[in-house]
Amino acid sequence: MPTLDAEKLKKEIVDSQIWRSIFRGGIWKDTPRDRAAHIVGNVWLHLHPVRVRKRALDWTYSWGLGGISFVLFLILTITGVLLMFYYRPTIGYAYRDIKDLAFAVTLGKLMRNMHRWSAQAMVVAVIAHMARVFYTGGYKKPREFNWGVGVLLLTLTLFLSFTGYLLPWDQLAMWAVTVGTNMAGATPFLGNEGPFGAAMGMHINNDVRFVLLGGTMVGENTLLRFYVLHCVAVPLIVGILLILHFWRVRKDSFSAAPYQAGEEKVEVWPNLIKREYVAMAACLLFIMVWSILMNAPLEAIANPNVTPNPSKAPWYFVGLQELLVYFDPWIAGVLLPGLIIVGLMAIPYVDNNPKGIGTYAWKDRKFANAIFTLGLAMWFILIFIGYACRGPNFFWYWPWESWLTPKAAPPLTWNLFGPDPKWKLFQTPNLSAFPLWIGIPVMLGGFLSWLVLPKLLQKELNGKKLQAAFIGVMLLFITGLKLGLHVPFGSGLWLLFFGYLAFYFGFILPQRYIRSMDWARYLVTMVFVIATMGVLLKMSARLAFNIKYVLTIPTVSLNI
Amino acid sequence: MTEPNTPSSQPNPSQTPQSVQNSPKPAAAAPKSGVSRGEFLWIGWAAMVAFVGGFAAATARFFFPNVIYEPSQKFNAGPLKQYDFGVNTQWLNEERVWVIRNTKGFYVLWARCTHLGCTPNWFGDQHRFKCPCHGSNYTIEGDVIAGPAPRPLWRCKIDVNSKGELIVDKAVLQDLPGLREKVPFFVEYT
Amino acid sequence: MSYKTWFVALNVALVGAFAWAYARDYNAQWKTYQRNYYNMAADALQKQSDAASNPDDKAKLHKEAVAMRETPLEIKQIITKDLGRVDRCTTCHVGMDEYVNPTMTNDFTQNPYKSHPDVAAMNGNHNFQKYGCTVCHLGQGLATTVKDAHGFVHNWEQPLLQGKMVEASCARCHQDFEHLKGAEVAAEGKKLFYEHGCQGCHSIKGVGGVVSVDLGDIADKPLERIAGYNFSRILVDGQPGHYLPESQWTVVNWILGHLTNDPMNVIPNDPLAKFNKEPVAPTGMPNFTEPDATGKRELSVDDAHAIATWLMSQTDEPIPYQYIVFQKPAPEPHFTSAVAHGKFVFEKYGCAGCHGLHGTKGRRNFNALGPGQVNPETDMDKGREPTLVDVVGTFTHDELVAKISNGVPASAISRFNPNGPVTPLYMPAWKDKIKPNELNDLATYLLSIAKQQNVGF
Repeated sequence: MPTLDAEKLKKEIVDSQIWRSIFRGGIWKDTPRDRAAHIVGNVWLHLHPVRVRKRALDWTYSWGLGGISFVLFLILTITGVLLMFYYRPTIGYAYRDIKDLAFAVTLGKLMRNMHRWSAQAMVVAVIAHMARVFYTGGYKKPREFNWGVGVLLLTLTLFLSFTGYLLPWDQLAMWAVTVGTNMAGATPFLGNEGPFGAAMGMHINNDVRFVLLGGTMVGENTLLRFYVLHCVAVPLIVGILLILHFWRVRKDSFSAAPYQAGEEKVEVWPNLIKREYVAMAACLLFIMVWSILMNAPLEAIANPNVTPNPSKAPWYFVGLQELLVYFDPWIAGVLLPGLIIVGLMAIPYVDNNPKGIGTYAWKDRKFANAIFTLGLAMWFILIFIGYACRGPNFFWYWPWESWLTPKAAPPLTWNLFGPDPKWKLFQTPNLSAFPLWIGIPVMLGGFLSWLVLPKLLQKELNGKKLQAAFIGVMLLFITGLKLGLHVPFGSGLWLLFFGYLAFYFGFILPQRYIRSMDWARYLVTMVFVIATMGVLLKMSARLAFNIKYVLTIPTVSLNI
Repeated sequence: MTEPNTPSSQPNPSQTPQSVQNSPKPAAAAPKSGVSRGEFLWIGWAAMVAFVGGFAAATARFFFPNVIYEPSQKFNAGPLKQYDFGVNTQWLNEERVWVIRNTKGFYVLWARCTHLGCTPNWFGDQHRFKCPCHGSNYTIEGDVIAGPAPRPLWRCKIDVNSKGELIVDKAVLQDLPGLREKVPFFVEYT
Repeated sequence: MSYKTWFVALNVALVGAFAWAYARDYNAQWKTYQRNYYNMAADALQKQSDAASNPDDKAKLHKEAVAMRETPLEIKQIITKDLGRVDRCTTCHVGMDEYVNPTMTNDFTQNPYKSHPDVAAMNGNHNFQKYGCTVCHLGQGLATTVKDAHGFVHNWEQPLLQGKMVEASCARCHQDFEHLKGAEVAAEGKKLFYEHGCQGCHSIKGVGGVVSVDLGDIADKPLERIAGYNFSRILVDGQPGHYLPESQWTVVNWILGHLTNDPMNVIPNDPLAKFNKEPVAPTGMPNFTEPDATGKRELSVDDAHAIATWLMSQTDEPIPYQYIVFQKPAPEPHFTSAVAHGKFVFEKYGCAGCHGLHGTKGRRNFNALGPGQVNPETDMDKGREPTLVDVVGTFTHDELVAKISNGVPASAISRFNPNGPVTPLYMPAWKDKIKPNELNDLATYLLSIAKQQNVGF
């Protein structure tokens, strides 16, 4: 049998002086001590502990999502470095080099496909990893900080994708980045088109967008900036944060569940390592097969004068793009993303529920799970709408509808509260129905009472009765609108649907579950809850009644 | 494109066979349905080595570009009949060669001093090439007659197409007496 | 499955996937064509060798055949420094590569193997190594697969100019293309364009009417600006049921869609205000498939292709001046009679575009008044522009001059259906375009063709 010789040979190699000088740990005797030495003595493996709790190894606990995200990051690094050998970040060459990769470089197409698809898979994996950690309560004490690092890593993953999108210099690149950076131009105070921007002396050539682009439009400087950000600056930061993230995972122990007496621990080598290898190989295989079967898209060469129709962002930003249909750029492009990031990072500090750590505990964490799931679902529903339901001119086309069907022009929009009111509901295109002196107190008062009411009601209200009452009142209201103002019933149903969601998630649930929180945590939570519900309500106002702004103060560009 | 040591997720290939075999359930070497566990695992390791090796080889291949954006090393120097006897300098600026016609035919010298790469000049009155950098002198055949140059000037591969035009290929060179006077570095023409 | 099984299965699958990927990369489409060419060329040489009587020639040809057969495969490209293009067309079209096929001719009849037609003239004046391919033929020079290279893919705006359409490229550089051998179709297209009065509505780089878009850069028209809804309604050569496939949604076919179809069917817009608050008339472009006096289509399919060919030469793409064959525009002819000059002016400014050839048939003007109109919804398309021979008789010379000078805005044209759209065509004010003496002679000419007995409709 040749196996015997191989065994002997292997032993000779492993025990040789050269081998032992590279891998620390003395003669291999395959004892628990040897295995521990393996982990501790290897720079790559020492991010692992020597022994790990058995429950942390369950596939159905972690799903390997963090590891898969990291594998995808590695695939991206390696393919990215290879792509850099054939890519020049200048307007004259960038597009041609991508064509060369597709047509003339050995395996160039595969590398580019793998890079593109891994990037998209990484976005999915990182979001899924975050959801998994949330549902198992993995962010709770003492892991608050690491959750925050994770949120930053998610943000940077998206930013890496965004910067990478410009590099092929095609139409998708040009317009995704034009729109994305124009949102930066709508930043309050710092952008030339944002609220108070003019008061701060912002112009097109000195605001935050100008810095980002290195010019007033997407051009040669932008390409170079995004190239450096994409290939050097951001990966460096991600790398540092990854080390921090892994270190804390290891130090805070792999599973968050409280210890049970006499709980069994097993050796990381080979129990965890072999799982990691399988996850890595499966992930790599998946990306490779996908990259063989499907080519990364490449549009026509960038043209600053021609916008594709419809023009869509990369899919994971399409939800944001859909929000931009309903809100002013500084709200949808700056405020809401900012709130999402800050809100996610605040979760561990406001959620002081000690239950549900290290397990999928639906019953013990109803409020947290409900709100988080609603937010996640909204994100993906918005993506679905933007990706599948928008056609030419960003009109609404159902997925089964042909984009060649002509569509009626969209109805004229109007505002609910604003200056120069016309006092006529539904009949004042582009004008306001009610004056600001009603609007501002109503909006402020509504917001404040919504903010505090759930906590001020000390006794838990009967949710079923409340819901029934709410639906009843809404139905009466809709009938009134139908009879009095001839509002179509369909519009009323939109209002009922979104209104009910906002009432249930924004009032009933907080009243039931978090009214006993301390004021600070309660208020922070409610601000984020109300912001989420506000998005829903604004969408219903637009979809049902063509309301452009609920409240508009044009003099300071404040439009809600 | 993965490398053998992907941090944290992959064991070192040559260290692991033993340890995987020695996982908590000790691997029984007993043959099962004709194939022993050891041989079965061996396929996995071989596949892994093949994959990593294949990808490394492919990556090496990746670094050899299939197209380059340099001017073509080949160029069409026009009909032979247009050339006069002696050193023709008309291609010096564009292609850095001298087309030389003697009584027997044509050869083409690459205008690069074999000492350190400067471009020599042709002095018809002295009938020699002189390099401005370190003073190497060459005969019209390209042989060194003065200065530090270690070897004669290179001759380019030349060919005549069916229209009687001279096709020069600067990628193929020869300077050895005996070889350089023969096809494909010399074209007979009278 | 145990981890060991997973380990083996995944690793084997990875090797398989890698082999699959490499095989796909290795077996590139162009290699088949290049290999075929070398084999075919080697066979031809071998045949010559077999036929040769002189043993020296025999041996030489045989050696050449062997060398040809064993030529290593490579991506060939022509880099055109001045024109900024990189063309890999000769990777498959090997017969047009000067270094493989020095004579640039061969006996093959099939693409991509055959040599370039009329190669003596073409390669002589347009050395392929200097001009490349796509500067004339368009298409995607960088690509190395058939479909991508020919450019009928959604991300390439300039697909191959097929057939005689390539003459458009002659007209891009040769300002004297009307006298150029081999550019007859483009010349015919230009002639037809001006004969049928297209310039009355469409200016070319600022010269001409203002009713519709300038066509001076029509070849660069971004397809993004054309709605798929309109493209999908084009019939190939106007044949019923033959809708244009999506891969053929190109600028060429957009032009042809206006000339071989009734443009109203391609761009119907919204005359009944189904989608908009206000009705919008269909395109005002006349229907050039309508039969003329002889019963034939005013523009045949060939005529339409000729016009499209010429229009495809209208681009703003910069061309290095060394490549342009300049020609001064021909001076205007002199006329002795006012009527003859007036006729010339009538044609020069494209009056026929709306009023028909020689002013004999006013063209369709949607929702204007016209004969046979009954139903206000379905008969709006029977509205016509005035037929000059019928109506000019009711004007005096001065009234005509004033009318042409000041024009008639669309809002002043009486509508057949008062709730229908504003008419798409109208009479522009010509006073800034037509010179006073031209205007005078034009009016004289018009009065000379008026049918005296008829008084308008």
